[in-house]
Amino acid sequence: MVELLFLLPILIGIISFFLPKKSGRTMLVLTGGIHLLLSIWLWLKRPVAAFPEYFAVTPEGLLSLLVISFLFFLVAIYTTAYLNEIETQSENIFIGSMILFLSTMTMVTLSDHIMVMWIAIEATTLASAPLIYTHRSKASLEATWKYVLICSVGIAMALLGSVFMVLAMDLGNIDIPLSFSALSEVAVKLDPAWLKVAFVLILVGYGTKMGLAPMHTWLPDAHSEAPSPASALLSGVLLNCAFLGIFKTNKIMVAAGLGNFSGTILIVFGLMSILVAATFILKQTEYKRLLAYSSIENMGIIAFGTGIGGLGVYGAILCLIHHSLIKSSLFLTSGNILLGYGSRLIDQTGNLVKLMPKTLIAFFAGFAGISGFPPFGIFIGEMFIIIGAFRTGHYIVATIFIISLCVVFAGFANQTMKITFDDADDDIIIKIKEKASMIWPQYILLLTSLVLCLWIPDTLYKTIIDAVAAIGGGF
Amino acid sequence: MIYSLDTILSLVLLSVLFSFGSSRLPGLIKVMAFQGIVVSLVPLFTGHDLTTGGVLFSLVTMVIRGVVIPLSIHLVIKKVDIHRGIEPIVGFHASLFAGLALIVGAIFVSHSLNIPSVSKSALLIPTSITILIAGMFILMARRNAIAMVLGYIMMENGIYLVGTTFTTHARHIVEFGILLDVLAGVMIMAIILQNIKQKFDDVDTVHLRNLKE
Repeated sequence: MVELLFLLPILIGIISFFLPKKSGRTMLVLTGGIHLLLSIWLWLKRPVAAFPEYFAVTPEGLLSLLVISFLFFLVAIYTTAYLNEIETQSENIFIGSMILFLSTMTMVTLSDHIMVMWIAIEATTLASAPLIYTHRSKASLEATWKYVLICSVGIAMALLGSVFMVLAMDLGNIDIPLSFSALSEVAVKLDPAWLKVAFVLILVGYGTKMGLAPMHTWLPDAHSEAPSPASALLSGVLLNCAFLGIFKTNKIMVAAGLGNFSGTILIVFGLMSILVAATFILKQTEYKRLLAYSSIENMGIIAFGTGIGGLGVYGAILCLIHHSLIKSSLFLTSGNILLGYGSRLIDQTGNLVKLMPKTLIAFFAGFAGISGFPPFGIFIGEMFIIIGAFRTGHYIVATIFIISLCVVFAGFANQTMKITFDDADDDIIIKIKEKASMIWPQYILLLTSLVLCLWIPDTLYKTIIDAVAAIGGGF
Repeated sequence: MIYSLDTILSLVLLSVLFSFGSSRLPGLIKVMAFQGIVVSLVPLFTGHDLTTGGVLFSLVTMVIRGVVIPLSIHLVIKKVDIHRGIEPIVGFHASLFAGLALIVGAIFVSHSLNIPSVSKSALLIPTSITILIAGMFILMARRNAIAMVLGYIMMENGIYLVGTTFTTHARHIVEFGILLDVLAGVMIMAIILQNIKQKFDDVDTVHLRNLKE
């Protein structure tokens, strides 16, 4: 039954390629709704998969799955309104790819077999490529080309890493299924040298997909050229899927007693991503690219927290959840701004407070959340990571971490002020009306994030603790 | 058995050298097709117990790597009438020399690696390393977008070879999934290539450097 969660959308996705325009949109929302119900059912029941060798319901997978499902449903509602405002030649391809994209991401969250995980992550690249090329412009073509080539080559590295993982298993003379859970149990017997090689390759591979610097070069292009609903999914949940691959591999490393080795590498890549994002955010001229670099920053924070261990991992998971909720809402909001002003340049916007007041609320709240204002979740997550870093004695990296967060905040705040309060050109006419279906999805996402800061349901808290316990996380 | 395996592996190495020296796209595609076929033959000679499933899977791999993938790239060239030369960043003679150095280096390195190979062949591990790095080399040293895709295919061939060299665990269903992903990836790249040609009237990647910062 577990497999139904991705098999059903595959089927619907393929059918949607051939559906007429209007029914395609209904199908999208319907799929989102059904998928959300199925995910909640999976969360409550936690059944065993029909093919336990390949698929399993794990706490970290469940967390990602619920976020994906919830986000997709809201994005689907937004998409129906968004598609009314833009002209696309091939709407059924867009909708079909969205649903296939959902199915491949679901498969990532449920896969337990190393190779199946790889297959699923590569499939997400392929399913999302048509989404980026929706606008059929030269720039979007370039972005798609970079996305497919860089990610495919990067993920090929992860495949090589997975093969070396098998080699480490052969050298340890163990014969078990190639699943993450089975490998974690016998991790001490794996050959440590090849395990290290495997981890580095897998980190580089999935790190490319996750947007860790210096392999991030495709990310700002792809996220800014894709239509906003697709950007919201790419940034909000696809990055999490890639992180899941790294997280699970890190679990094996920690179980094998190589946690220090993997932690250090994660910290280095994490810090590098934050620093790169900080430099580009400061002088950014386009708001969608600004958001994309902010995603790189957040992925850096998450990798950093995971590398720190202990309290840091708990903080990283909090950041992961809240980043998904807030960043996807921001990308949807940026869709409104793009439709309203007709330009991606920050200079061409302005005076959002007068011209699009409802959008402003979503945009400003999103900005406050993503840049770590208290009481939003990112702030709490970052606090935990910083405390965790000091507790484990990482004083220098923690200092660099805090300083770069301040730089990012300054850059982001500066750009946000320009968009929201600076004078706009007098002749700007906002091209769209702020319809409820283009505002409320963002509000709901932000509200969810806010509620989760004040009150975490017990079952959610327990799942997070279960997920991080395996790599020595928690209080 | 071991001699026939070595023969096949030396053919793989030869294909790497040929690909480094190819200055024309149709030639390079033919080399890649040849490479796809010989690489898929390797598992049949490594001395595993041959099951019906194993043989069948090797045949499917051969058809996909040796025929379907090269053919789809070939069709792109034909359809959009792409200018046939390959613009190198590293020249062809220098590439050939690098290829030779790579093979020697790979043989040298493989002696110091402690890897239990499934076969006694001395060429198995060096060939895997060579073809893997050669793929990356083509990706970086050619500006032509189609040549880059071919470099990616060579890399995937290399990973497949590494996989069959080291492991006896692989499940055919999983391997088939990987193969399907690679195939779908190449198909999508082929579609993008067609679009690139239509929009830019060329497949030189200099045109694809406008998005910055």
